[in-house]
Amino acid sequence: MRPTTMRHGTLLAVLTAVGPALAAVPGIAGPSFDLVASASYVSQPDGAAIYSWGYGCSPTSAAPFTPFPGVCPPMQLPGPTLIVTEGQVVQVRLTNNLPPAAGNTSIVFPGFAVTTTGGAAGLLAQEAANGGGSVTYSFTATTPGTHAYYSGTQADLQIEMGLFGALIVLPASPPATCRPRGRFSLAASAYDHPSTCYDREYLFQLSELDSRIHDRALAQVQACPVGPCPAIVVQSEPYHPNYFLLNGRSMPDNMDTSYATGYLHQPYNANPHMHPGELLLMRIIGQGRWQHPFHFHGNHARVLARDGNLLLSAADNVSLAGPLLFTTPTVSGQSQDQIFTWTGKGLNWDVYNHHPTDTPQVPCVPDASGYNSIVGSPNFGEWCADHLKPIPVVPPDPTIVAIGQWYAGTPYLGMQNSGAFTNTNEPPGTLNQNPTQESGYAYMWHSHNEREITTNDVFPGGMLSMLLIDPPSWFIDETR
Amino acid sequence: MQTMQRYSLVAITVVLLGSSARAQSFRVQCPDTTSLHPGTCAGGTNAGLSCLTATDCPGTAGTCVPIGAGANPNHPGQIKCQHVGGGDGYATMGDGHQIYLFAFSPLSGLSDIEAGRPGTQTTDVFNSGYAGPNYATTGTCSGGGNAGESCRVVQDCPDPTSAGVACKSSSTSLAAAPNNAAIKEPAAIMDMGVLAGNAPAPLMAIDEDDEFFLTLSNPGMIMRPDLFEQHTIHFHGYPNASSYFDGVPDSSVAINIAGSFTYYYTAPDPGTYFWHCHITPPEHLQMGMVGQLYVRPRQNRLTSTQPLRDALIASNRRAAVDPLATGLACSDILCTGQTPAPAPNAAVGGGRYAYNDGDGSTRYDVEYPIQMMGFDPNFHYVGMTFNPEAFADMKDKYFLLSGRSYPDTVNPSPITTMSSDGVSRPSQPLPSLITLNKTAGQTRALLRISDLSVTEFTTLATIGIPMTVIAQNARMLRDTAGNNLSYNTNSITLGGGESADVILDASAVPPGTYFLYSTNLDHLSNDAENFGGMMTEIQVN
Repeated sequence: MRPTTMRHGTLLAVLTAVGPALAAVPGIAGPSFDLVASASYVSQPDGAAIYSWGYGCSPTSAAPFTPFPGVCPPMQLPGPTLIVTEGQVVQVRLTNNLPPAAGNTSIVFPGFAVTTTGGAAGLLAQEAANGGGSVTYSFTATTPGTHAYYSGTQADLQIEMGLFGALIVLPASPPATCRPRGRFSLAASAYDHPSTCYDREYLFQLSELDSRIHDRALAQVQACPVGPCPAIVVQSEPYHPNYFLLNGRSMPDNMDTSYATGYLHQPYNANPHMHPGELLLMRIIGQGRWQHPFHFHGNHARVLARDGNLLLSAADNVSLAGPLLFTTPTVSGQSQDQIFTWTGKGLNWDVYNHHPTDTPQVPCVPDASGYNSIVGSPNFGEWCADHLKPIPVVPPDPTIVAIGQWYAGTPYLGMQNSGAFTNTNEPPGTLNQNPTQESGYAYMWHSHNEREITTNDVFPGGMLSMLLIDPPSWFIDETR
Repeated sequence: MQTMQRYSLVAITVVLLGSSARAQSFRVQCPDTTSLHPGTCAGGTNAGLSCLTATDCPGTAGTCVPIGAGANPNHPGQIKCQHVGGGDGYATMGDGHQIYLFAFSPLSGLSDIEAGRPGTQTTDVFNSGYAGPNYATTGTCSGGGNAGESCRVVQDCPDPTSAGVACKSSSTSLAAAPNNAAIKEPAAIMDMGVLAGNAPAPLMAIDEDDEFFLTLSNPGMIMRPDLFEQHTIHFHGYPNASSYFDGVPDSSVAINIAGSFTYYYTAPDPGTYFWHCHITPPEHLQMGMVGQLYVRPRQNRLTSTQPLRDALIASNRRAAVDPLATGLACSDILCTGQTPAPAPNAAVGGGRYAYNDGDGSTRYDVEYPIQMMGFDPNFHYVGMTFNPEAFADMKDKYFLLSGRSYPDTVNPSPITTMSSDGVSRPSQPLPSLITLNKTAGQTRALLRISDLSVTEFTTLATIGIPMTVIAQNARMLRDTAGNNLSYNTNSITLGGGESADVILDASAVPPGTYFLYSTNLDHLSNDAENFGGMMTEIQVN
């Protein structure tokens, strides 16, 4: 650890107060939305408050939240996640409450045939005029999946300033073969296709931010408090982003609760959890001008779709054809849906630390695919071929290792600080990150252009979060 | 003066070790037998049966013979081992400048590593006892022009006219060339691990069905005694990873200086992966702690009488477990341990393949692991001189293929660099010169390309010879219905943390010299030199 970098403990002290924070894809339900664009400040874990623009909810209309209650301020980064169902006619009214110097603004919905009512003429889209003007966009949500929306007006500046968000279109008829819709899921499947069933879902909007551009924009906004104003001219090259965001927050803020009061204008976290064997739907959007290689530890993921287009085999138009990836390059403006899962299959040791000498024996009864089928058992989903196998190496002496914040104290899933492995109690990491009853396996999900896991020169930070694979006995409450 | 500092630091370390004698420090693990790969009883009453130790083989002359480099049809695969040190070192850039590294050093398989091959060994070789140079032991030249003067290796005693010249310490002859056995003894780990880092890190390769015992020892970074850095190994992209062996210090334990951690992996899915340290990744990766790793498919072990598709289907069925599985498609959405079967075809084994393709489409004649990476000399200099490094301003100025920039990439020999203690050590063993001898029947070169840039996306292109991209992120490009989705191109673009397998097919290409180079044209430079960078040659003979 560098002398100049903040230690984990310093950063995580913030989290300690609130406990583990989970996620889902929280947003507001349609088909009608009343949005405003306005300015405010977003907070960063290094203490910076960065002047930004964002979409938000009109204070005069109540937004129906889904899948659990939240807040929707008049400005947020990213904008509200809009959740609609395939086939619905979506109406989005946008009111421009940006400062005079910001000029007009707009929204483009790539992938949809949009008609507009009102507003002022613009290049990419009809615009909401500065000074409270509004425009209404209408389109039919023809294709399910994850989509981006963002400003079509002076986009190089307005998207940098934060005017972007996600649109989720749920399938009209999820296949009956899917498991029942998860308690915190928006739907049972991502598409009207049996290979797109999922148990949990998370949204990852990757963007970067050059605080100098924001500072210069603020200076010009302050220089023209009353319109009409000249257009803001900010040098955008060379581009040196120094903040790298997941859903508008840097690590560790992105592991705090969604809608936490500490991040008034950044309501969404990025904090995936799952049980072994569950199917996790990753909704990924590149919202910045840079590409980011998003690397997910733990396993590969299958790309289902790009920009809401399901990738199917030319042979039968049914079989999935998207690649298997361990790092997905996010593309500016592009969305992807991917399925991730983890089973522990093939490790050749028992991740639950069962031994032939245990009394009583914890059984592993394989289903047709070889996973423990006893619903409700602490090792539900265990890969039975490795049941009772000891870990094949002698661990290092616990006095000569450094202990990770998410390390539960043993190599085993769901076991905190047991002496069974080494005959010594290896001290666990931070109980708050991975408490006794949880003791999950933690996997870093992060940009692999590793410079981007920093917050303005401070490591760790930026585009980094932790997936926790929790033991079956641990209830994953996504609202916390 | 620097040398003196070094020895006094080593002395301190030794004292520290002595004071904590109860704690297990350096410890290299490489068992000869495991329950997955047991030995076989020779002699005794259990002759021919599986055994873990000799006690499983009672009776006259009963011994347990480990699988070693052999093969046991009942227990496919072998036990493989490798030992690396996590420390520091120096490398030589294309413009002649030395650059300071945080780096992994080879502590086993040194002979193979210096020859550009994977350092991974079977247990019989790994455990056979190291012989070779010792960078910290001084001997005396027994003859030649430097007779009577001190030496560390025989190359220090030049005399082209006499073959008998040696560098001898008081008791042993310090062999010029190392063997492939592991360095296990604590003092030797310090002698051979300090300042011996390679760029890229030691190459690793295992075969499907193998078990891999990989020991990381931490001899410390002698140039940065202010840092008490741990190091780890992350097997990037490895399927169904356990967080304990995933190398992320936040999710597991990380080994301190003077300790060892043995990582354990099986080899469930073939492909081109890579590995790196996961401590403070923007720093340790930029400083050089990145390496290559690939898993060869079991299809390589088939003979020319065995149909590839039948073997793939049988293998898929075993992985699926379900007796009703047809083996034609995958049993799970990630195709764990499986590959969708291609259309029926007549392909048989006997070749070398990148994947279990079932149709021979990934067959190759020669293979080259190539790692795209970059160094920011300013960051490295700041890192060497005890100053805080700035991440936001990181800007690579050396653009490398496997630790070298052009023209060093086509130098067939290992590059050595003199470290701050005055000793020259191999620093960049891997050439990237791609050679296809059509006269010897070679037409297909497999490039195992990985990218561990810390800062940017980079494009690598060919002139005159087409690339066929057969796999991405260690998975063959094939849809779940078995359709081949490989494609022809002249360029691939990768960001940090991605890999791709590319086949260069020279069957229709006339002999000559072709180029593999970055079309991000500013990457064709070695810092201030405006020619060089991320480029190598493809020689078709």
